[in-house]
Amino acid sequence: MKPVAENKKHRVPILSTQGFSALKFLSPTLVIFITFVLVPVFFSFILSFHKWNMFSAARSFVGLSNYSRLFRDPEFWQVLKNTLVYTLGTVPLNMGFSLAVAVLLDRRIFGKKWVRTAFFAPVVISPVAAAVIWRWMYDPNFGLFNYFLGWFRLGPVNWLNDPRSAMFALILMGVWKSFGVNMVLFSAGLQGIPESYYEAAEIDGAGKWTRFWRITVPLLSPTTFFILVMSMIGSFQVFDTVWVLTSGGPLGSTKVMVFYIYEHAFKFFEMGYASAVAYVLFAMLAFLALIQVKAMKSSVLDAT
Amino acid sequence: MTGSPTHRPAVRRAAGSFAMHLAVYILALCTVAPFLWMILTSFKDLGDIFVYPPKWLPAGLHPENYVRAFQAAPFGRFYLNSLAVALTVTAGQLVTCSMAAFAFARLRFRGRDLLFYIFLGTMMIPYHVTMIPSFMILHRLGWIDTYKALIVPGLASAFGTFLLRQFFLSIPKDLEDSAYIDGCSRFGVLWRIILPLSKPALATLAIFTFMGVFNDFIWALVVINSEEMRTVQLGLAVFRDRYVTEWDLLMAGSVTATLPILMVFFFAQKYFIKGITLSGLKE
Amino acid sequence: MRRSAAVFLVVLISILRCGKPSDQAADGRVTVVFWHSFVSSTIPALNDLIVQFENAHPGIDIKTQYVPTGDALIQKLITAVQSKTAPDISWVHANYIESLVEADAIYPMSRFIQGRNGLNAGDLADIYPALLQYASWKDTLYSMPMEATNLALLYNKTLFSQAGLDPAKPPQNWDELHGFAKKMTVDSNGDGKFDQVGFFLPVFPAAGPNGPWMVWQWFPYLWQAGGAYINDPQTEVLYNGPGGRAALALWRNLYRDLRLNAFTTDYDVAFASGRLAMVMDGPWNLPRFERLLANVDWAVAPLPAGPDRRATIVGGEYLTIFKQSANPDSAWAFLKWIIRPDVQAKWAIKSGYLPVRRAVLNDPEFQVYIQANPKYRAFVEQMEFGESQKPIDRFGLEIDRHIAEAIENACLGQKDVAEALEESAQKSNRLLQSPVGE
Repeated sequence: MKPVAENKKHRVPILSTQGFSALKFLSPTLVIFITFVLVPVFFSFILSFHKWNMFSAARSFVGLSNYSRLFRDPEFWQVLKNTLVYTLGTVPLNMGFSLAVAVLLDRRIFGKKWVRTAFFAPVVISPVAAAVIWRWMYDPNFGLFNYFLGWFRLGPVNWLNDPRSAMFALILMGVWKSFGVNMVLFSAGLQGIPESYYEAAEIDGAGKWTRFWRITVPLLSPTTFFILVMSMIGSFQVFDTVWVLTSGGPLGSTKVMVFYIYEHAFKFFEMGYASAVAYVLFAMLAFLALIQVKAMKSSVLDAT
Repeated sequence: MTGSPTHRPAVRRAAGSFAMHLAVYILALCTVAPFLWMILTSFKDLGDIFVYPPKWLPAGLHPENYVRAFQAAPFGRFYLNSLAVALTVTAGQLVTCSMAAFAFARLRFRGRDLLFYIFLGTMMIPYHVTMIPSFMILHRLGWIDTYKALIVPGLASAFGTFLLRQFFLSIPKDLEDSAYIDGCSRFGVLWRIILPLSKPALATLAIFTFMGVFNDFIWALVVINSEEMRTVQLGLAVFRDRYVTEWDLLMAGSVTATLPILMVFFFAQKYFIKGITLSGLKE
Repeated sequence: MRRSAAVFLVVLISILRCGKPSDQAADGRVTVVFWHSFVSSTIPALNDLIVQFENAHPGIDIKTQYVPTGDALIQKLITAVQSKTAPDISWVHANYIESLVEADAIYPMSRFIQGRNGLNAGDLADIYPALLQYASWKDTLYSMPMEATNLALLYNKTLFSQAGLDPAKPPQNWDELHGFAKKMTVDSNGDGKFDQVGFFLPVFPAAGPNGPWMVWQWFPYLWQAGGAYINDPQTEVLYNGPGGRAALALWRNLYRDLRLNAFTTDYDVAFASGRLAMVMDGPWNLPRFERLLANVDWAVAPLPAGPDRRATIVGGEYLTIFKQSANPDSAWAFLKWIIRPDVQAKWAIKSGYLPVRRAVLNDPEFQVYIQANPKYRAFVEQMEFGESQKPIDRFGLEIDRHIAEAIENACLGQKDVAEALEESAQKSNRLLQSPVGE
């Protein structure tokens, strides 16, 4: 970690001018961010203590009752469990696979540009079109998956209509759809690691795996931290693929948190309740992110 | 490393390289297979889709699917809209995010960490509960059904700021320190030292932003009413009705919406591929 | 790089400049904005209709704006009502009316019907009552039907013959429906994958976009078995009664017997490729099917009768007028014009939808058309035993969801019919019996 650690010899200007120029650097972002992000976020926080059907001007204050209702709703706990299963299934698979691909593509590979584009293609396809294709691939009668299983005299599996396989089907598509994002991020991260470190280590006689664990992994850690946090957020908030692929079914086995939020907001017009659920989701994500920040700080690189 | 004759490791290396190539190609093929199927389906007659065993190649070519898809709505206009919006937002985010990320990564000021965590935190609120308040703000500004509604809220991004901050953090400070000593301003350091070193991250952010905006559906849906203001994704929605999916047309439309982005990606790769820029630090 | 940026800026500016046209043109013509979600195959007919209207009303321009289906319409309506940017006219589903009325966003139709340019009692009475019932909330009419639909049985004659069935005799009752469906479900090599499926039941995830559609298609079976939705004072649901149990038992038995859980294919494509023998569908797909089903020998029959009576569900697209409209009377002129018998006849012929009133049946042009198009005629004839569910005063959305859950639980889950219905009914009743004004 030494090379990246800060060089304290030349700590330059004094605090107040830094604060002033920080404001200059931040102002464009802050103006937009406050107007279009912070204000709506704050507004929805206020809403979580109200009952509001979104059409009428009237909003009635209901205190904490949205929150207490949530913890009493058995469906909420089911949905929370589904979300955790999805996250635990997606994040490790996604990160492991995308790192492996990024590292492989960091070497000499013939036709690398094409291969990388192939891995990135799923990210680009619109979720609706992707889901239509995957529905076909999962089709019990005409689909590709059962066709391949048929070669091994297995199946047919009823992928999307069986509560036992639907979540797996969703995770598989989720990883397919999004690992390209992390692959690109890891590639960019690998790009930032100076070649000289590897050369030096090679001269010192370090093997492939040693180099990977001693150089690549620690130097990638800002990227990894970013990817981990974003993947957690992404999988906790998965919605589009669920909506178009399984619609939460069968029998609620793929209903996840944001799906639950969505249906209370736009199916039952309970924006106050939906906002309360959103803030519980926020609290959980914030907690997880804090743990990651702490782990990050103690193990590798200080954010300063 | 055993003490074997010199050609042995070479053979082994060649075999390893072959195995690695094979593995990468197979994985890539599996990944891209649904996309290939989308392209092939876009040329199929509907009757060719649900057949068993699955047929990859269309029985007869039906390029008229593309013609019909384009006749269903003014897609040329929709592309122009999507492109204009996505490019503007991308350009804007590259500027705002790199500035903000520089402040977070390099400057010390009071409340920096708190502000950064607030940025992070806002990404944890699902968008469905902030959509309506955002809409109401846009309405106050009188921007409904304009390009401004599609562009301005996207000009800052917590994601982009976070991404670039992480990247800036991994750049050694030594280079900057000498620049400061030479009398360079902070903008100068950002512009002349950090940004050139951050091309991979900037390229990454650019492609993600572009794609995110190009593929956005729900925000465009609520803020846009007029047909001439529509984006491609809104246009494609016409092929997926509540009850029926117009497979052939949806596939044709999606292929035309996806290929341009993939081409951009194909050519923009050079900004994050080693060997071409070599590690940027050597420039 | 720099040059392409400049080119891009020029393009961008030129796009930005052709901004929004204003609502009111200088020559006193008014523009009426109309939000709809017609399927793409109906759009040409709609454009034609608008031209006819504008020719007949030189002072009014109708500007149609397509809103994608699903929840897009409601999301747009919410934001539009909140920001006072609602269109003049919009499609509206009965389930939204309660919220729109509470927000004071839409006019009751009586404002126009009894106004200067009103409708006479005869015109109103000519409209199918099932349509008007569904367009109302708390016995007040808040929207007008633009067209009618109902649900009929589409079947593949060739597959009937192949199975030794008479293609001129579609199933007449539930037993025949089940028997025929079973006969035409084929898995010739026994690999668990169908070669052909006898009948498709629309069982979808209750919470998904197709949940309400599933319930809509289940209602006719409820009525055919003599069941009802809710009691009159609206204190208790009745769908868990004997009629509901019989209807759900039919669905469950069919679903399990035909192993429909393994059939997730798009029903229209399956029907088009000759792999599906019978399916329920509405007339809105007729124009699309002309092309799609060109190679299929198919026919349309009324839904089979149940143990109690023959029934189908009548729906339609309903238009409502927003209070934010600057020109509500011009908007009404469109609503009124469109239910004229001659206009309805032309619109029905072009769009494949059904007319909203009986007088159209006497229109000479329409008579020629239905004689020439037996498939379409089957839908029209079915209107006579069309029913609609009465929109209830509150919790309509939630109760529909409960029914959807019961169907999904009984067909896909482990619960038996009575248990699934009872569980849902308890949830519904708890809501209905909760204090008003919460």
